[in-house]
Amino acid sequence: MDLRYTAEQDAFRAEARAWLKANVPSIPLPSFDTAEGFARHREWERKLYDARWSAVSWPVEYGGRGADYIHWLIFEEEYYRAGAPGRVSQNGVFLLGPTIIEVGTPEQKSRFLPSMASAEIVWAQAWSEPNAGSDMAAIGSKAVRDGDDWVVTGQKIWASRAVWSDWCFGIFRTEAGSERHRGLTFILIPLDSPGITVRPIAQLDGDTGFAEIFFDEVRVPVANTLGEIGKGWGVAMATAGFERGVSLRSPARFTEAAKRLIELWRTHADHADTALADAVTDVWMQAEGYRLHTYQTVTGMIEGRTIGAEASLNKIFWSEMDVRIHELALQMLGPEAERMEGPFERWVDGFLFSLAGPIYAGTNEIQRNIIADRVLALPKGL
Amino acid sequence: MRFSFTDDHRAFAAGLREMLAVHCTPAHVRAVWESDAGHDPALWARLSEMGVLSMMVSETFGGMGGSAVDAILLFEELGRACVPGPVIETAAVAAPLLTNADQIIACRLDGSPYVAHAHVADRVLTVDGWLTGGTATDVHGIDGGRRLFTVDGGSVEPIDGFDGPAAFDRGALATAAYLVGLSEAMIAIAADYARQREQFGKPIGSFQAVKHLLADALIKVEFAKAPTYRAAWSLATGSPDASRDVSMAKAFANEAAYRTSRATMQVHGGIGYTWEADLQLFMKKAWALMRAWGDTTFHRRRVSASVLARADERMND
Repeated sequence: MDLRYTAEQDAFRAEARAWLKANVPSIPLPSFDTAEGFARHREWERKLYDARWSAVSWPVEYGGRGADYIHWLIFEEEYYRAGAPGRVSQNGVFLLGPTIIEVGTPEQKSRFLPSMASAEIVWAQAWSEPNAGSDMAAIGSKAVRDGDDWVVTGQKIWASRAVWSDWCFGIFRTEAGSERHRGLTFILIPLDSPGITVRPIAQLDGDTGFAEIFFDEVRVPVANTLGEIGKGWGVAMATAGFERGVSLRSPARFTEAAKRLIELWRTHADHADTALADAVTDVWMQAEGYRLHTYQTVTGMIEGRTIGAEASLNKIFWSEMDVRIHELALQMLGPEAERMEGPFERWVDGFLFSLAGPIYAGTNEIQRNIIADRVLALPKGL
Repeated sequence: MRFSFTDDHRAFAAGLREMLAVHCTPAHVRAVWESDAGHDPALWARLSEMGVLSMMVSETFGGMGGSAVDAILLFEELGRACVPGPVIETAAVAAPLLTNADQIIACRLDGSPYVAHAHVADRVLTVDGWLTGGTATDVHGIDGGRRLFTVDGGSVEPIDGFDGPAAFDRGALATAAYLVGLSEAMIAIAADYARQREQFGKPIGSFQAVKHLLADALIKVEFAKAPTYRAAWSLATGSPDASRDVSMAKAFANEAAYRTSRATMQVHGGIGYTWEADLQLFMKKAWALMRAWGDTTFHRRRVSASVLARADERMND
């Protein structure tokens, strides 16, 4: 155990800090869940890519820096510290990208990764269906083989920013009559393909970041299959595990939020309210605990251990913590917490978004089932 | 930056776990409860022989001269087996002060008027120094593996350069690690029970209400670990944040142990409320240790004083 950063890691941090200081927009970009905000965030991604900051943990040949996850965590710490824009290409860079790196063919890697890192292609995920939410293995959207093409028909939902994205990835039933996790295949599909209709859905905050995607006999080359045909569930789970485990919500997001909460406590709280001070201290400890836990996990990954169902522990922890941080902020804001616009809108927006955390990427109830079944080896239920 | 233990650390902990699985079963713990000893001399001898008790004793005096990082996983294993007797007091708190690795030590350092394990201790470490020759009166603690006493009279021998706060931090840290292991053991016991006990024609562990109780407990325990290991590092390296980090670890471990005791008892149903269920040995240890070496309120306030005060400092920048 050595919890000190090396001189090289310190230098990396300094480089990231200097670049971010010089380049992060001084006025926050509009929400990437709007058309204008999406375009502005895409430009920002390009800027990151040009300086090789968009995917630091990827191999150099695909636009990354070949950095290990410790460096990735350092970069994330600096990124959130600098108040840099949200990552509009996160579905690609943090979810699909690592999966392609793991299971993609060399041709797929060179075809998809650089354009993903530069945000020339922004990816949307297409997992859930109206009848396959928590029960994702109930997927009914199908892809039928016709020569060198898949012919895709069905409907996906909760595809964030699909209205403005360029491609989507998801799993489709490719074996007629197959059930549950079997007979599914992971397919990459351009969203401008004939037969695709994308319809926006207004979110709780009023923005139309969500979308549903309708597929009506959409032809997709079989070469766009990721991993083995019929083994899409396993490929998707690799992605989902990485998402829940490490990459989706890096600790810096919460340590920075906890710092901002303490600033708010300093300026907006009754310091005689010891229960409030205790509660603020608790979330600071949680954010710090999540940071430490992540460094431990990442060290384990570097040393060759894999992250499995334990990822579900992380997802529950950070999503509940995020809700708590924002609840406390709103508690301190009093009447200001009712305003959707104003000096504290970030906290109010953040509260609404935090409430999505226990739902997306697999509800926390599903995560608890996963923990019970796979970590505690309790008998399967349902 | 490398947040992991060495193969040697892991191997030592695994060896200790194997030994305890044989020599400190719940039946052994119960036997200690039911004896007047409140301690298991045969087990103590094995711990001594393995070098567990002398890990943090100076090499000059026959110890291994280990740091808190070297010792932390051992305390987790002691907790997993619910080891009775003053292991924390002897092997964590007093060890760096000992010139004789064979002594049994009790402590009065955490603000409590009571002294755990006083009846088996050769000496009591107090803020004023070594206390010997006092009269111990049993005040009937809840944990039969941690008998509780008042100690009156006796004489105190001051210790040159004794750092009481550092000794307290070692106790709080080792207790945090012990509580982590203890909590994992409670979850294992309850998961085992949930796999076997059937109602409505199915193992109760197949019901989501039961799964979620244990999953939530596991989250608490899992997230108490990294703060505990970091606190060990901070103590071992003399970090200026060491006390804050120890407090964070103990606050997390206290809450993890308490939530785990509640969840695992609930999973046991009526059996959980019996003297016969082994779980009670572990729960009562948790309820004793979550108050010892600083309760959650104490430790949270210590973190608070550090973290919120820094915000005030920033204001003055």
